[in-house]
Amino acid sequence: MAGMAPAIFVALEQSGFSAAIRQSLWVYPLANIAHIVFLFVFAGTVVITDVCLLGGFAVTDPRPVLARARIFAAAALLGMAITGFVLFAAEAGHLATNPVFQLKIVLIAAGLANAAVYEFWLWQRITTLSSDAAMPAIAKVTGLCSLAIWISVAACGRSIAYF
Amino acid sequence: MPKIIVIAGALAFIAGAASAHHGWGSYDAAKPVTVSGPILTLKFENPHATITVRDNDKTWTVTLAPTSRMHSRGATQNVVAVGNNISAYGYPSTVAKDEMRAERITVNGKTYEMR
Repeated sequence: MAGMAPAIFVALEQSGFSAAIRQSLWVYPLANIAHIVFLFVFAGTVVITDVCLLGGFAVTDPRPVLARARIFAAAALLGMAITGFVLFAAEAGHLATNPVFQLKIVLIAAGLANAAVYEFWLWQRITTLSSDAAMPAIAKVTGLCSLAIWISVAACGRSIAYF
Repeated sequence: MPKIIVIAGALAFIAGAASAHHGWGSYDAAKPVTVSGPILTLKFENPHATITVRDNDKTWTVTLAPTSRMHSRGATQNVVAVGNNISAYGYPSTVAKDEMRAERITVNGKTYEMR
């Protein structure tokens, strides 16, 4: 399978960096567990954000909740990216040709695009809302997309090993 | 009640972390094979240790367990060392040619479970 992978991924898998990850007794399992712990934080804060955007938790002003959740989600996403790269590097050639991994990467790109809509367009609108105003329709669409995309990403991540 | 939830959550987490390696989906459990012969190469690496084994005129790639499990079962680098004779019982890959996943291995009369 690795023979069919693009050369850059084969080179990454054969690098000293990747070999060190594989040859350590602890690095790979630790990265594996840390990836899941960051997933807890990311999933938790993303779900809080999305439920807010869908009009849940409406008894409180959503803006401070969204502002806090945004920071934790960004930090956790960075943690997932770093630990994910460690896991990927160890088996880059195999993973690059894995159809579920490929789908996961496409879905992550979609999730980031959706987050960019929230970050660069929706965020400003929300901060100018009054504290008890209903969420605009676009917020609900973005929240629903976010839930659907990130749950699919998690499902792909768990399924990679089985394809 | 909250105690039960915490315990259930902890168990689910441990089970998830422990099984977060490759599944057995691409191996044909209906056609078990036994590969016997000298070990030609060893990669004692994560996520799984792998060896190649010369069985008559065929060279098999045999996928073993994660290195931490290899250690805890006693199947260390010295046991699956190049040159040692091994007998590996397991399942052939449905994807990669001449690759198999070992259920258990026997070296020098001692059997080590890989799962």
